[in-house]
Amino acid sequence: MTGRALDLTLHLLDRQVLDQDGGMVCNVDDVEFLVPDDGAPPYITTLLTGPAALAPRLGGLLGRWVLSAYQLLGERHDKEPDRIPYELVTDIAASVKVSRTRAEMGVHPGEDRARQYFVDRIPGARHESS
Amino acid sequence: MRAADVLGAEVLGPDGVRLGKVLDIRLVQDGPMLGADCALRIEGFVVGKRWLASHLGYDRANVNGPALVNAVVQRLSADNRFLSWDDVAQLAPGRVEARVSQLGPVPTLVDGQIKT
Repeated sequence: MTGRALDLTLHLLDRQVLDQDGGMVCNVDDVEFLVPDDGAPPYITTLLTGPAALAPRLGGLLGRWVLSAYQLLGERHDKEPDRIPYELVTDIAASVKVSRTRAEMGVHPGEDRARQYFVDRIPGARHESS
Repeated sequence: MRAADVLGAEVLGPDGVRLGKVLDIRLVQDGPMLGADCALRIEGFVVGKRWLASHLGYDRANVNGPALVNAVVQRLSADNRFLSWDDVAQLAPGRVEARVSQLGPVPTLVDGQIKT
Protein backbone atom coordinates (compact mmCIF):
# COMPACT_ATOMS: atom_id res chain seq x y z
CA MET A 1 0.00 0.00 0.00
CA THR A 2 3.02 2.24 -0.50
CA GLY A 3 2.20 5.66 -1.88
CA ARG A 4 -1.47 5.73 -1.07
CA ALA A 5 -2.95 8.93 0.29
CA LEU A 6 -5.50 9.56 3.01
CA ASP A 7 -6.81 12.36 5.16
CA LEU A 8 -6.17 12.05 8.86
CA THR A 9 -9.59 12.97 10.26
CA LEU A 10 -11.54 11.28 7.48
CA HIS A 11 -9.63 8.01 7.31
CA LEU A 12 -7.67 7.39 10.51
CA LEU A 13 -8.80 9.30 13.61
CA ASP A 14 -11.58 7.66 15.63
CA ARG A 15 -11.23 4.38 13.70
CA GLN A 16 -11.53 1.10 15.59
CA VAL A 17 -8.27 -0.73 16.19
CA LEU A 18 -8.54 -4.53 15.80
CA ASP A 19 -5.94 -7.01 16.96
CA GLN A 20 -4.67 -10.02 14.99
CA ASP A 21 -7.59 -12.11 16.23
CA GLY A 22 -10.17 -9.52 15.17
CA GLY A 23 -10.77 -8.41 18.76
CA MET A 24 -11.50 -4.78 19.48
CA VAL A 25 -8.49 -3.06 21.04
CA CYS A 26 -9.27 0.66 21.21
CA ASN A 27 -9.93 3.67 19.00
CA VAL A 28 -7.36 5.91 17.35
CA ASP A 29 -7.84 9.07 19.42
CA ASP A 30 -4.75 10.94 18.21
CA VAL A 31 -1.44 10.33 16.46
CA GLU A 32 2.09 11.44 17.17
CA PHE A 33 4.37 12.83 14.47
CA LEU A 34 8.12 12.83 14.34
CA VAL A 35 9.36 16.15 12.93
CA PRO A 36 12.76 15.59 11.25
CA ASP A 37 15.41 18.25 11.89
CA ASP A 38 16.28 18.46 8.18
CA GLY A 39 12.93 19.99 7.21
CA ALA A 40 11.56 16.78 5.71
CA PRO A 41 7.83 16.24 6.18
CA PRO A 42 6.77 14.96 9.62
CA TYR A 43 5.54 11.37 9.71
CA ILE A 44 3.39 9.32 12.04
CA THR A 45 5.32 7.18 14.52
CA THR A 46 2.65 6.32 17.10
CA LEU A 47 -1.09 5.91 17.44
CA LEU A 48 -2.40 7.39 20.69
CA THR A 49 -5.46 6.13 22.47
CA GLY A 50 -7.44 6.68 25.63
CA PRO A 51 -8.93 9.71 27.37
CA ALA A 52 -5.53 11.38 27.69
CA ALA A 53 -5.25 11.34 23.88
CA LEU A 54 -8.85 12.33 23.22
CA ALA A 55 -9.07 15.20 25.73
CA PRO A 56 -6.76 17.66 23.88
CA ARG A 57 -8.79 17.09 20.69
CA LEU A 58 -12.04 17.81 22.50
CA GLY A 59 -10.59 20.92 24.10
CA GLY A 60 -12.45 23.35 26.33
CA LEU A 61 -14.40 22.38 29.41
CA LEU A 62 -15.28 18.91 28.10
CA GLY A 63 -11.63 18.12 27.39
CA ARG A 64 -10.55 19.25 30.85
CA TRP A 65 -13.34 17.23 32.45
CA VAL A 66 -12.38 14.07 30.53
CA LEU A 67 -8.72 14.50 31.47
CA SER A 68 -9.54 15.13 35.14
CA ALA A 69 -11.78 12.06 35.30
CA TYR A 70 -9.05 9.97 33.69
CA GLN A 71 -6.43 11.20 36.14
CA LEU A 72 -8.74 10.48 39.06
CA LEU A 73 -10.04 7.09 37.95
CA GLY A 74 -7.35 5.85 35.56
CA GLU A 75 -4.84 3.14 36.29
CA ARG A 76 -1.77 5.40 36.20
CA HIS A 77 -3.25 8.72 37.41
CA ASP A 78 -1.25 10.66 34.83
CA LYS A 79 -1.86 12.56 31.57
CA GLU A 80 -0.01 10.16 29.28
CA PRO A 81 -2.05 8.37 26.60
CA ASP A 82 -1.64 4.72 25.73
CA ARG A 83 0.58 4.19 22.70
CA ILE A 84 0.66 1.81 19.77
CA PRO A 85 3.87 2.04 17.70
CA TYR A 86 3.10 2.51 13.99
CA GLU A 87 5.33 -0.49 13.24
CA LEU A 88 2.54 -2.72 14.57
CA VAL A 89 -0.04 -1.41 12.08
CA THR A 90 -0.69 -3.92 9.30
CA ASP A 91 -3.66 -2.32 7.53
CA ILE A 92 -5.68 0.89 7.52
CA ALA A 93 -9.15 0.55 6.07
CA ALA A 94 -12.59 0.71 7.73
CA SER A 95 -10.67 -0.34 10.82
CA VAL A 96 -7.00 -0.26 11.76
CA LYS A 97 -5.41 -3.69 12.14
CA VAL A 98 -2.39 -4.36 14.31
CA SER A 99 -0.12 -7.38 14.59
CA ARG A 100 -0.45 -7.93 18.34
CA THR A 101 -3.27 -8.78 20.72
CA ARG A 102 -4.88 -6.31 23.08
CA ALA A 103 -3.31 -8.05 26.07
CA GLU A 104 0.17 -7.88 24.52
CA MET A 105 -0.13 -4.14 23.87
CA GLY A 106 -1.46 -3.35 27.34
CA VAL A 107 -3.67 -0.48 26.27
CA HIS A 108 -6.56 0.50 28.57
CA PRO A 109 -5.38 -1.48 31.63
CA GLY A 110 -8.05 0.18 33.76
CA GLU A 111 -10.76 -1.02 31.40
CA ASP A 112 -9.34 -4.54 31.49
CA ARG A 113 -9.26 -4.49 35.28
CA ALA A 114 -12.86 -3.22 35.45
CA ARG A 115 -13.91 -6.08 33.18
CA GLN A 116 -11.99 -8.62 35.25
CA TYR A 117 -13.24 -7.55 38.66
CA PHE A 118 -16.68 -6.08 37.93
CA VAL A 119 -18.28 -6.60 34.50
CA ASP A 120 -17.40 -10.28 34.13
CA ARG A 121 -18.96 -11.02 37.54
CA ILE A 122 -22.36 -9.70 36.49
CA PRO A 123 -24.63 -12.69 35.81
CA GLY A 124 -24.91 -13.19 32.05
CA ALA A 125 -21.88 -11.04 31.24
CA ARG A 126 -20.14 -13.88 29.40
CA HIS A 127 -23.13 -14.70 27.18
CA GLU A 128 -22.00 -13.15 23.91
CA SER A 129 -24.59 -12.59 21.23
CA SER A 130 -22.39 -13.84 18.39
CA MET B 1 4.08 16.70 18.02
CA ARG B 2 0.49 15.47 18.14
CA ALA B 3 -2.23 15.90 15.53
CA ALA B 4 -4.25 17.74 18.18
CA ASP B 5 -1.53 20.42 18.14
CA VAL B 6 -2.09 21.02 14.41
CA LEU B 7 -5.80 20.40 13.79
CA GLY B 8 -7.56 23.73 14.28
CA ALA B 9 -4.27 25.64 14.18
CA GLU B 10 -4.30 29.12 12.68
CA VAL B 11 -2.67 29.32 9.22
CA LEU B 12 -0.90 32.60 8.55
CA GLY B 13 0.47 33.92 5.26
CA PRO B 14 3.90 35.56 4.83
CA ASP B 15 2.48 38.97 5.71
CA GLY B 16 0.71 37.64 8.79
CA VAL B 17 -2.73 37.59 7.18
CA ARG B 18 -5.02 34.79 8.34
CA LEU B 19 -5.65 32.16 5.67
CA GLY B 20 -7.91 29.95 7.76
CA LYS B 21 -7.54 27.03 10.11
CA VAL B 22 -6.18 23.52 9.61
CA LEU B 23 -9.23 21.34 9.00
CA ASP B 24 -7.40 18.14 8.11
CA ILE B 25 -3.96 16.72 7.43
CA ARG B 26 -3.30 15.00 4.10
CA LEU B 27 -0.98 12.01 4.49
CA VAL B 28 0.90 9.95 1.91
CA GLN B 29 2.37 6.56 2.68
CA ASP B 30 5.85 7.04 1.27
CA GLY B 31 7.79 8.13 4.34
CA PRO B 32 10.63 6.23 6.02
CA MET B 33 10.17 2.50 6.54
CA LEU B 34 8.47 1.66 9.85
CA GLY B 35 7.99 -2.06 10.29
CA ALA B 36 6.73 -3.68 7.10
CA ASP B 37 5.44 -0.47 5.47
CA CYS B 38 6.40 3.10 4.76
CA ALA B 39 5.36 5.70 7.30
CA LEU B 40 2.48 8.10 6.66
CA ARG B 41 4.11 11.47 6.11
CA ILE B 42 2.44 14.86 5.87
CA GLU B 43 1.73 15.95 2.30
CA GLY B 44 -0.09 19.12 3.29
CA PHE B 45 -2.99 20.67 5.13
CA VAL B 46 -6.63 21.30 4.23
CA VAL B 47 -7.24 24.91 5.23
CA GLY B 48 -10.62 26.54 5.66
CA LYS B 49 -13.14 28.00 8.03
CA ARG B 50 -16.02 25.52 8.28
CA TRP B 51 -14.96 22.51 10.31
CA LEU B 52 -18.21 20.54 10.19
CA ALA B 53 -18.78 20.88 6.45
CA SER B 54 -15.22 19.78 5.73
CA HIS B 55 -15.48 16.71 7.93
CA LEU B 56 -18.22 15.28 5.75
CA GLY B 57 -15.59 14.79 3.05
CA TYR B 58 -17.55 16.27 0.14
CA ASP B 59 -14.79 18.75 -0.64
CA ARG B 60 -12.00 16.20 -1.13
CA ALA B 61 -12.93 12.55 -0.80
CA ASN B 62 -14.87 11.88 -4.02
CA VAL B 63 -18.20 11.94 -2.16
CA ASN B 64 -21.09 13.36 -4.20
CA GLY B 65 -24.43 12.17 -2.94
CA PRO B 66 -27.22 12.68 -2.04
CA ALA B 67 -27.43 15.55 -4.51
CA LEU B 68 -29.07 18.04 -2.14
CA VAL B 69 -26.56 17.44 0.66
CA ASN B 70 -23.74 17.51 -1.89
CA ALA B 71 -24.87 20.88 -3.24
CA VAL B 72 -25.18 22.47 0.21
CA VAL B 73 -21.94 21.10 1.66
CA GLN B 74 -19.93 21.76 -1.51
CA ARG B 75 -21.07 25.37 -1.32
CA LEU B 76 -20.13 25.61 2.37
CA SER B 77 -16.72 24.07 1.58
CA ALA B 78 -16.05 26.16 -1.52
CA ASP B 79 -13.49 28.31 0.30
CA ASN B 80 -11.36 25.37 1.46
CA ARG B 81 -7.80 25.42 0.16
CA PHE B 82 -4.72 23.19 0.30
CA LEU B 83 -1.38 24.16 1.81
CA SER B 84 1.37 21.87 0.56
CA TRP B 85 4.15 20.94 3.00
CA ASP B 86 6.62 22.52 0.56
CA ASP B 87 4.94 25.87 1.22
CA VAL B 88 5.08 25.59 5.04
CA ALA B 89 7.63 28.00 6.53
CA GLN B 90 7.11 27.04 10.16
CA LEU B 91 5.03 24.53 12.05
CA ALA B 92 4.36 25.04 15.74
CA PRO B 93 1.57 23.89 18.06
CA GLY B 94 -1.51 25.98 17.23
CA ARG B 95 0.20 27.90 14.44
CA VAL B 96 1.23 27.19 10.85
CA GLU B 97 3.12 29.82 8.85
CA ALA B 98 2.93 29.61 5.06
CA ARG B 99 5.42 30.91 2.50
CA VAL B 100 2.60 31.79 0.12
CA SER B 101 -0.47 33.97 0.48
CA GLN B 102 -2.53 32.24 -2.22
CA LEU B 103 -3.43 28.60 -1.65
CA GLY B 104 -4.57 26.16 -4.31
CA PRO B 105 -7.70 24.01 -4.42
CA VAL B 106 -7.90 20.85 -2.34
CA PRO B 107 -6.82 17.85 -4.48
CA THR B 108 -9.46 15.12 -4.50
CA LEU B 109 -8.72 11.65 -3.20
CA VAL B 110 -9.90 8.84 -5.47
CA ASP B 111 -9.29 5.26 -4.33
CA GLY B 112 -6.43 6.29 -2.08
CA GLN B 113 -4.67 8.33 -4.76
CA ILE B 114 -4.43 12.08 -5.13
CA LYS B 115 -6.23 13.20 -8.30
CA THR B 116 -4.41 16.15 -9.82
